[in-house]
Amino acid sequence: MKLKITKKEQEKKIKSRSKKADDKQKLILEILKTHGAKIYDDLDNGQFPKFSIPSRSVGNIVYDKQLRQYILGNNAALRSSRNSAQLRSFTQLMWLAFFANRLTTERKSSTLRDVYYSSQAFAVEFEDQSESDNIIVDLEAVTSRAREDFHIFPEERSSIFGDLNIEYTIPGYEGKTMNLANHPDGYSIGPSLTTAELVSTSAEIVIAIEKGGLFTRFVEEQVDKKFKSIILNTGGQAPRSTRTLLKRLHDEMKLPVICLTDGDVYGEHIAMVIKSGSANAAHLRELTVPDAKWVGVWATDIEKYKLPTIPMTESDIKRCYDLQKDPRYQDGIWKKELDVFLKLKRKAELEAFSKYGLTNITDKYLPQKLELAKSL
Amino acid sequence: MSSIKEKFNQISPSEFFYSNRDLAGFSNPTRSLYTAVREFVENALDACDQKGILPDVHLIIKAVDPDKPDPKPYILTVKDNGPGIDAEHIPLAFGTVLYGSKFGLKQARGMFGLGATMAILYGQITTNKPVTVKSSADGKIQNLFEILLDIQKNKPVIVKHTTKEVARKGLSVSICLEGDYSKAGNKIRDYVYETSLITPYASITFDDPKGQKFSHPRFVKNIPPPPTIIRPHPHGIDVERIRRMIVESQFEIPTIDDAMIEKVRKDLGLSVKKLSFTSIMEKAKKKWKNLPRQVRVVIALMSFLKMDFEKLNKIKIEDIDMPNKKLFYWDFGDSQSKSVDIDPESMYYKQLTNTVQGEPLTTFLTKRFQRVGPTTAVKFAAFAKLKPEKRMGTLTNQELVNLSDALQKFEDFMAPDSSCLAPLGAEPLEKGIKKFFNPDFVAVVQRPASAYSGFPFIIEMGIAYGGDIKTGGPHVYRYANRIPLLYDEGSDVVIKVVNDTDWGRYKIKGEPPFIIVSHICSTRIPYKTAGKENVADRQEIERELRLALQFLSRKLSSFMSKRGQAEMAKKRANLYAKYIPMIAEFCTELSGKKKEPNYKKMLQTEIESENKKAIKEENEIENN
Repeated sequence: MKLKITKKEQEKKIKSRSKKADDKQKLILEILKTHGAKIYDDLDNGQFPKFSIPSRSVGNIVYDKQLRQYILGNNAALRSSRNSAQLRSFTQLMWLAFFANRLTTERKSSTLRDVYYSSQAFAVEFEDQSESDNIIVDLEAVTSRAREDFHIFPEERSSIFGDLNIEYTIPGYEGKTMNLANHPDGYSIGPSLTTAELVSTSAEIVIAIEKGGLFTRFVEEQVDKKFKSIILNTGGQAPRSTRTLLKRLHDEMKLPVICLTDGDVYGEHIAMVIKSGSANAAHLRELTVPDAKWVGVWATDIEKYKLPTIPMTESDIKRCYDLQKDPRYQDGIWKKELDVFLKLKRKAELEAFSKYGLTNITDKYLPQKLELAKSL
Repeated sequence: MSSIKEKFNQISPSEFFYSNRDLAGFSNPTRSLYTAVREFVENALDACDQKGILPDVHLIIKAVDPDKPDPKPYILTVKDNGPGIDAEHIPLAFGTVLYGSKFGLKQARGMFGLGATMAILYGQITTNKPVTVKSSADGKIQNLFEILLDIQKNKPVIVKHTTKEVARKGLSVSICLEGDYSKAGNKIRDYVYETSLITPYASITFDDPKGQKFSHPRFVKNIPPPPTIIRPHPHGIDVERIRRMIVESQFEIPTIDDAMIEKVRKDLGLSVKKLSFTSIMEKAKKKWKNLPRQVRVVIALMSFLKMDFEKLNKIKIEDIDMPNKKLFYWDFGDSQSKSVDIDPESMYYKQLTNTVQGEPLTTFLTKRFQRVGPTTAVKFAAFAKLKPEKRMGTLTNQELVNLSDALQKFEDFMAPDSSCLAPLGAEPLEKGIKKFFNPDFVAVVQRPASAYSGFPFIIEMGIAYGGDIKTGGPHVYRYANRIPLLYDEGSDVVIKVVNDTDWGRYKIKGEPPFIIVSHICSTRIPYKTAGKENVADRQEIERELRLALQFLSRKLSSFMSKRGQAEMAKKRANLYAKYIPMIAEFCTELSGKKKEPNYKKMLQTEIESENKKAIKEENEIENN
């Protein structure tokens, strides 16, 4: 497929895309400004500023059947700067909003660790990174926006490979395009990729795979070409930016998403988090792909494909029982496979297929599963 | 046979202690030096206490040859300004074991004055030098004795005796003994220091072998009231003790011989005149109140026999059968046994029964025990299922055991008389703690007297926080009868009670700067060992310690929370001052404003109000 675009048209397109990015930036800055102004007014009126924040306690995390994800309930806590126990964290949050405002204005990205160190330039102490991470979650909760919107990214990186054209929006790269099949190690999913415009693709499906080793095998075996797919390595539990990208691939590119994980309870849950989010991020929307499908490795596959297994550990079994109480595991394949795992008390890794040859998984298993996915 | 006989030879007390000196704390040169210091200093303080003299005690330790390595001989001298000892008693007091003036039921640091003799004995064994005693009991003449102990005979050997004129009373004892000051020094300095805390009315100085001088002048001018010797408490008594008390209360029928008749005559003032029976009785009736017991018994006998002295001389009392009210006697004239009736209505009947059968139970209780009144005695008799008028001399063995049991169990006796105890008193204790530790908080309590096994005791306790006190507390200062206890603290009941306390409950956390001073006063401290360093966990003592500690801990807790509130208010003021300007700065940029919000006045008001709160709480602490 060849696209002939005139220079003028291209410029127009770029403009519209960067306008989209500009709009988002404006929106985020507006949100921050609104909150800042409220605090300013309180102080100006000779009052201790305060604000309310949705409670993230276990009791306030509820499952929303319509949204098919966990959300926060109606409980909210009042944070007051008059309360000496809260004053410090109040100031920390104010600083973070102030810092996020600068990041967003200057379109600079930073990491969770950066935030921890940057605070020290402003005499805002954080005991350790976990304290600053926690304040970042507070900012997310207050604004209902993910930290990535404020240009704050986690360190962990997953990667992506396949025929997908993107166009950067980050400063210095505006308008620059890239095809994600150009580098066989795949592209790291970082701030530039997460904020890039998704331009075009020939792929028809996204295969999210739990492990880096299998990701490399899939690239080598040209799974992208053979099955017209974009391959994405979640690197275990998918980071939020990866989940955001998966959602955009699904929503903007209209691509179905399937998940391939180890055949154990943790693998099953990796797929579930991609599909419907985690309780930890109950304060955020837009992170889930409710139509995502888990295609394997299922508990029932263990016997079906005669996979070599290892016994479940105590914690595996405990996790099974925990998930049995989760409302999302009450029906369908999720419940069925969980029950079989508990019955077998054994698990199988993706690499288990290597027993039947290194390409067995891509030659035999994957086609069958892709076929099956259509009927799921 | 003869060899077995030898094994049963009695040994003298000196010999016994010579071979068992470990028991008394003379196990090695370090411990021995420390124990010797203790014994002499405590004797000096005890002597002054008993006479109500404000003690000046000087302790001097000098090495005989300073260049020798430890352990080596030291000369230990303790001087006091006490009453001194009469010259005639000195050789026995310092030259025999188990000779002392401290036997009796009252509180003193030492029980029998045993330790000092042990120290002398130890010195003699290790250095073969005599003890030097300088004593002036009248403030004019000083007697100087050098005495050695004859261990086998338990007798003093006077090596030297001189006298000279002096200007003041007092005693100085000097011994030469093998010791190890490099190791014992710390403990001895601690001992002197801690002694001066619990004896604030004493001036104590210490010249140590290295030429250092430690001086602890008195800072309280009043000596606490001296203890008195008292009768036992019913709870503190056993069968053997009752038996002895009954014996003391009973009198044998005096043998009526010429000497006795002579005595009766004399006491009645009848030395020459020959009087008829009736006139003797009349005379006796008049003088009755002033007659000694023996004479009264003779008069009583005469009243039933209806005899004058002449006739009395010719008979011998055989038996007094109180239950059948008969008096049997042998008549030398007729050479036969005769009897007369005893008239229970007679005024002499009671005199005779008391003598023969001992006192009635109720009298025994009210007269022989402390704080038992007639009403309580009658109530007790009912409780013990004995008749109130039951004669003590007629109790069977089983009845004695039952009586002893009942005495232990009867709960309506008054608490033991604590007049035999000499607690320091809350005020001097508090003064001492304040002077020694300059604390932010101090509280003291003196518990009411209580008793364990009938021995009265009083717990005094003080607690202090902050100031000059080192962190890492609670540091516990243990005292018993004004003696600091420095060794073997692990197994002590005070430590047990302190360790059982959950300090978190009293808002005391971490490594607090915090001390506890505990003083147990008793006529008998239940030491676990003869070394007198740790107190056994008697239930009653433990309970009192707990109550004292709880009381003080609650006070400390309220101080801590007031102080906590003051600190919180200060902390809030600081936090506001630090963070509010930061919030103002951040929100100014965030909201896109040029000028900072107008918050300074609000902040100032708030900080001032918090500081006021802090000052208010601190004032409350001061006033408490």
